[in-house]
Amino acid sequence: MRKIFCCECGKALTKDETALCKKLFGIDTNEFYCLNCLAEYLECSKVDLEIKIQEFKEQGCTLFL
Amino acid sequence: MKIYADNAATTKLDAEAFEAMKPWLLDEYANASQSYSFSRKPKVALNQARELIAACINAESQEIFFTSGGTESDNWAIKSSALANLNERPNIITSAIEHKAVLNSCAAMKNLGCSVTILPVDNFGTVNPADLQEKIFLQTKIISVMLANNEVGTIQPIKTLADIAHASGKIFHTDAVQAVGHIPVDVKLLGADMLSASAHKFNGPKGIGFLYVRDGLKLLPYIDGGGQEFSRRAGTENIASIVGMAVALKKNIDALDKNREHVKNLEQLFMRELERNHIPHTRNGSEHSLPGLISLSFDGLDGEAIFHRLDLMGISISTGSACDSKKIQVSHVLKALHLSESRAKGTIRISLGKDNTSEDVHAIVAALKKCFRD
Repeated sequence: MRKIFCCECGKALTKDETALCKKLFGIDTNEFYCLNCLAEYLECSKVDLEIKIQEFKEQGCTLFL
Repeated sequence: MKIYADNAATTKLDAEAFEAMKPWLLDEYANASQSYSFSRKPKVALNQARELIAACINAESQEIFFTSGGTESDNWAIKSSALANLNERPNIITSAIEHKAVLNSCAAMKNLGCSVTILPVDNFGTVNPADLQEKIFLQTKIISVMLANNEVGTIQPIKTLADIAHASGKIFHTDAVQAVGHIPVDVKLLGADMLSASAHKFNGPKGIGFLYVRDGLKLLPYIDGGGQEFSRRAGTENIASIVGMAVALKKNIDALDKNREHVKNLEQLFMRELERNHIPHTRNGSEHSLPGLISLSFDGLDGEAIFHRLDLMGISISTGSACDSKKIQVSHVLKALHLSESRAKGTIRISLGKDNTSEDVHAIVAALKKCFRD
């Protein structure tokens, strides 16, 4: 699978991070961030984003599989 | 920051309603259907609540039947009307934008042999009365069209539709869950034979509602058991919630004009601010709609993404679409309005209530603006 990198810091992203960006920017987004940069960009905490990831998984969102 | 702008989903319990409920939970907890003296107060409270609620919609007290909420009321009205005539393979007519409580009740009856006719709506979400006139036939037993839509707010021409139904001798039910407590609802003016309402939509407690059934209309019980609710809806009366519902409804009705004006002003401010901030959007629904209910489409954007972005900013709204990994599932209401896929995908619902402020409106617009900077 093609590796995706954070557009801010260049870190290679995990599956959860790319899936979260799709959920928050739209499924066709080309904008991907790592959790730290995403939290900074969205002005929220990293914990908020981790909770979102957990909730999406519990809802059965297959982007996170 | 915490902003609640999803008042069409549920509303905050009114503090006075909560206070009114407490004695019936803690002290006067007797079963209202018992004959001992301890039950007298709950019995009186039950009757007073019924009278109060009846007066709020210009009904008679014996026409109000307490239920567990809008869903049960809708199920009861539709299923009992159909089941009473099941051997005649009855027809049910409803609209394409009804709540699932209505649509799935119809689907359940279809599985038992009934036929179901779904009326289309125009691009604004309005049922054309001529369509109803055309679709009624001998086997039609009940027609159910909602008073106001929960996703786009469109208010239907209920009086006209009820008149058409009655001219053919058919029963007319309206799901008024979204309307009661927010716009004037007078059952005599509307002409509906049955009307569903739910307390948590008008600052009452959850798990309680009522079905108005016009005097003289024969309706089979939906829940069988004891003789409560004039032997038509069994189950020990939930006095605390019934009282809370009555207090909340009376309070909303007493302040109806004031609340409507406040919410309408917020709605107008919101729309002006969207324009001022150059946020491209299309508004869905009709001009004749519920105050404060704003369905907006952002062409090319993802409504679910906006929903989650606003949630991360502490703002609770709703969306008309949900991502299912590969494709976006659009709500049946937006589909019925013939919205393009791109527009439907980018749809959110903001429903302002009496507790919202102009500061809330500015904060929501600022949050939406952030979603557009990407």
